[in-house]
Amino acid sequence: MSLQQLNSTGFEEIIYDNCEPCLVIFSKKECHVCKEVVPMLEELKPQYDEKFGFYYVDVEEDKELFQRFSLKGVPQILFFNNGEYQGKVAGKVEEESVEEKIAEVLGV
Amino acid sequence: MANSYDLIIIGGGPAGLSAAIYGGRAKLKTLVINKGTIGGLVDTTREIVNYPGYIQVSGPDLMKDFKEHAEHFNVEFLKEEVISVDFSQEDKIIKTKKGKELSAKAVILACGSEPRILNIPGEKTLRGSGVAYCATCDAEFFEGEDVVVVGSGDQAVEEGMYITKFARKVTVIVLHDEGVLDCNKVSAERAFNNEKMEFIWNSTIEAVLGEENVEGVKIKNLKTGGSSVLTCQGVFFFVGMIPSTHFLKDSGLETDKRGYIPVNEGMETNLEGIYAVGDNRVKYLRQVVSAAGDGATAAVAAERYIEELNYFNSNIVQSDKKILLLFFNVLVNESIEFSTLLEGLISENGDEYKIFKVDMATKKNLAGKYQIEKVPAVVVLDKGEEIKRLDCSMDKEQLKSQLS
Repeated sequence: MSLQQLNSTGFEEIIYDNCEPCLVIFSKKECHVCKEVVPMLEELKPQYDEKFGFYYVDVEEDKELFQRFSLKGVPQILFFNNGEYQGKVAGKVEEESVEEKIAEVLGV
Repeated sequence: MANSYDLIIIGGGPAGLSAAIYGGRAKLKTLVINKGTIGGLVDTTREIVNYPGYIQVSGPDLMKDFKEHAEHFNVEFLKEEVISVDFSQEDKIIKTKKGKELSAKAVILACGSEPRILNIPGEKTLRGSGVAYCATCDAEFFEGEDVVVVGSGDQAVEEGMYITKFARKVTVIVLHDEGVLDCNKVSAERAFNNEKMEFIWNSTIEAVLGEENVEGVKIKNLKTGGSSVLTCQGVFFFVGMIPSTHFLKDSGLETDKRGYIPVNEGMETNLEGIYAVGDNRVKYLRQVVSAAGDGATAAVAAERYIEELNYFNSNIVQSDKKILLLFFNVLVNESIEFSTLLEGLISENGDEYKIFKVDMATKKNLAGKYQIEKVPAVVVLDKGEEIKRLDCSMDKEQLKSQLS
């Protein structure tokens, strides 16, 4: 299942207004590592249906967003809950580390 | 069986895709398993100027052409990661991370290589916070900042120059004496003339410094032994590659100390029906053109191996009669004379045996399987199992007595 792409406005709504527990992958088209990590998230997403949100930001289209989190590279997966930043994982991460981090954010 | 193939190729870089083109064209049921994007390392290369027929092409574009070519010959693709293999039987078994089990008569390993990690303090913890391995991916995040590049090979110097498009300054940390770079001469010259490029010679990097983000690197001078700190916001590592062959560790496949797979001229490994091509094998030149050549060679070798295997299984294992596997070589007169003698004997005497002639020049796998080194040689098989070997006497009576 493909990930919903967020722009700045969508980002505000989902993260800070809805306070949804979720992850956001910051990615770009010309990044081969991203091309491995994004499909992994797409496959993981159905397992967390309704419980945890999966979103996507293209850093070339929304520069302001990656500058806000002073990111130094892609891909990076940022985790949020209750409108608060909960940490990130960077680079070529395995499915297991994402699952662990989600469990940690959800407090299970 | 849906998951059973003639040929499975692990890896979708230029070597794997070339093998796929040859395999598909030979009408082998061929599958390419690839864990990331198609094209392997080439997919990360912005510009290729030395692949014949393409004066200038981007890595991803060239690999798209390779893939389309393979698809044209009905090659199948599976996006999965292989985690274990069992090469001990005639049917080779491959297991993927998502629990899929596939089998093939022959397997071509085209797994490529991955960036070497130095494992120095800060390298792992600051990954994505200033530590990077891919200039195309991450260079733009260092707009107007100071960046350190570790390494002096083609990749280090060329990527370093790309980073100067964004960064204020790029400092290259080089192991060698002043003026000595590992990269090609054209790139070295360009780098020396690039005002934004600086070099620190005879040095290596000991640690990446910083809490949340990279704040600097600790540099060690190999000549003096002294350490110094250089302030920077980014560090790109280009310190060579390691073969991606770790999942093959317990397969019985031979590798050298660094994990590269040694092969012969036919890309054959120490295991029957298993071939290794491209960057994951021991080789002299690691380029797209040489990878493609490897792939073609291995696919042809695999095709011949599969053909022999199929022929053997349908004509020998399933035969009602006992089989005399007669190994000969046209260059060895004695073996030709012996063939004539044995054939005469069998045609005169009954139906118990059938002769199956094996030319040593073309049926190398069969010769290898029965460890035949000298001709003539005869192995007697019953239902495919060896029951004895004949003493290849030119005395007709002596020979006849062995067959009664």
